Amino acid sequence: MSTTEEKLKAPKEPLFSKKNKRLITDPLSDNNPITIQVLGICSALAITVQVEQAFWMSISVIFVMVFGNLIVSLLRNLIPSRVRIIVQLVIVASLVIIVNESLQAFVPDVSEKLSVFVGLIITNCIIMGRFEAFAMSNKPFPSILDAVGNAIGYAWILVLVALVREVLGSGKIWGANIFGNNLPGEESGLYALGYVNNNLMILPPMALIVVGVIIWVQRSMNKELVEEN
Amino acid sequence: MESTLDIFVKAIFTENMIFAYFLGMCSYLAVSKTVKTGVGLGLAVVFVLGVTVPMNYLLENYVLKEGALSWLNEDYGVNGSNTIDLSFLSFIMFIAVVASIVQLVEMLVEKFAPALYGALGIFLPLIAVNCSILGGALFMQDRQYSTILDATSFALGSGVGWFIAIVSLAAIREKIRYSNVPPALRGLGITFIVTGLMGIAFMSFMGVEYGKKEEAKSNTESGGAVETSQIINVKQVN
Amino acid sequence: MKVNKDGNGYTFAFSIILVIVVGVILSSLSIGLDPLKKANVAVKKKMNILSALGVESTRQDGSDKYDEFIKDSYVISHNGVLQEDLPEEKKAFNLDVQKQFRDKTIEVSDRLYPIFEAEKDGATIFVLPVVGKGLWGPIWGFVALADDYETIVGTSFDHKGETPGLGAEIAQDFFENRYNGEKIADNGQFTPIKVVQNGTGSEEQKVDGITGGTITSKGVEKMVNKTMRVYYKYFSKNK
Repeated sequence: MSTTEEKLKAPKEPLFSKKNKRLITDPLSDNNPITIQVLGICSALAITVQVEQAFWMSISVIFVMVFGNLIVSLLRNLIPSRVRIIVQLVIVASLVIIVNESLQAFVPDVSEKLSVFVGLIITNCIIMGRFEAFAMSNKPFPSILDAVGNAIGYAWILVLVALVREVLGSGKIWGANIFGNNLPGEESGLYALGYVNNNLMILPPMALIVVGVIIWVQRSMNKELVEEN
Repeated sequence: MESTLDIFVKAIFTENMIFAYFLGMCSYLAVSKTVKTGVGLGLAVVFVLGVTVPMNYLLENYVLKEGALSWLNEDYGVNGSNTIDLSFLSFIMFIAVVASIVQLVEMLVEKFAPALYGALGIFLPLIAVNCSILGGALFMQDRQYSTILDATSFALGSGVGWFIAIVSLAAIREKIRYSNVPPALRGLGITFIVTGLMGIAFMSFMGVEYGKKEEAKSNTESGGAVETSQIINVKQVN
Repeated sequence: MKVNKDGNGYTFAFSIILVIVVGVILSSLSIGLDPLKKANVAVKKKMNILSALGVESTRQDGSDKYDEFIKDSYVISHNGVLQEDLPEEKKAFNLDVQKQFRDKTIEVSDRLYPIFEAEKDGATIFVLPVVGKGLWGPIWGFVALADDYETIVGTSFDHKGETPGLGAEIAQDFFENRYNGEKIADNGQFTPIKVVQNGTGSEEQKVDGITGGTITSKGVEKMVNKTMRVYYKYFSKNK
């Protein structure tokens, strides 16, 4: 069995070798799944109105990705290549069901907020992309690192977008007022001075524009990433 | 309640898959470089949505939903002694249906229409993991359409909405090549922003009120005064 | 022995094993968590009813407080007639009014309307569920009516997916409190309550809507008026 051979070989390589570290750090910026590889924006943008939702979404994605990559990597020599995609889909779908059921049972308030978007993690292209590109041809440990790196690279963009939108759009962070009270008739803080929330930020299209701006900033700082038109 | 036509129109404009829910963004951004490929993928999405959503609807209502198996045995129904609820399996069943239909379509197209396969071929596998397809199934489940006709019209409407979105973005991207975009924004960045702006434009459809006539009728039937509210209210978008 | 991984036999065997493993894991998980999920849904409903009464509750004490305040519950028909001898799933608490509202195969005149009778500070209060639609999807809630059968003493609204920060604000206390003190009837005649966007909400029979949430606000107006009309038919007969 090739898997057992690899397990024996594994300790020879330091646990966090340079190569392994890069697996985590690369996806955070230079090879970010959202801003560079353009994967996984499908299910992500719609839930970036509030930081809380984005946070729970990120946690779910990290869970599904790490375990998914691990399972695929363990099974990589057993999966028949013809039904590869379906097997991968079944693995993701099962993990997502586990996440969804657990959310419904233990944090029902969060589950209500995420609604159908938990299900859409299944078709999150990052997950399938990593299975296909990495886990199918690598050992379990690097696969976990790769999953962690990519999932966090995805998560921080998600939370950042949510932060921008929640602060500018509703003047809150995690549901708590930061600019003062804006109820009509009892304004306080900035609102008393005439500040008004930018309701445009809450609308769905603004998520795209915020991501666009993040890409702009990132590529201005790192000229290598600039695309030819 | 909403009529079948309302659902169709609403799915195209107000609840556009791309602009309101961002579903299917991956392939949307990747394949919108030219109008020709955009049309190809758009048609494929319309077709696959139109086939898979009604299939998933039947699956949902005759197998998965709580008490849906009552046609097998009365005991399994909602009022039965042994109610069966398989709804926790819906994700996996939906994605399995989508993946197998896509595979099937791919094989059929390859066999019977090689020219079409040349044009569509590379897009079909992409569609299996296109969020808009699974999203269509999940929204269908979430909204609990009461007839298969409604579910189908929702599916086709969503598909057409997606088609319109990708073709128009592709057309804009073809023209943008002649513009002087800041270097760091070229390619992906400007595409995001253009999509965002298109989304804002699409939001103006949101004020359209559907099913006004029917609603008014049912109001008078229940003996009340018809509430006068504007038919179209685009001033304040929700 | 080298197994041919591309052979049909292997592929089938692999698929079958996979399906069995996945099926067993998921079914046991679902069955294991089912009571928890059902309890969550029921507690949430109780919390919403209590919230309309003006009683704060948490997921932990929701059930106990519900038993403490709610004394009786029954169901009336669309014409305001009390329904008796209903099967278990049509009892007031189990009745799914949202499903009833959405299901086109149920005629409007066949809809059932539950009433929860509560006692708070010695006074009887009626808690009435309402359902309607907002901009993106269903909205629902509960309206609490005082024992003069016309004054609203509390509301709680909720929604599926209204725009956060705009339409979604209907679920916030500040909006819900705006309904307090409004009357659904005048001299025995039903009177609708308008949700307005021009800031004249302090006038009688008017409530301020949510800025930027026009369609959701209108949805609330329609939902409350439509349902209260039905309930008032019952109350005016049984005063």
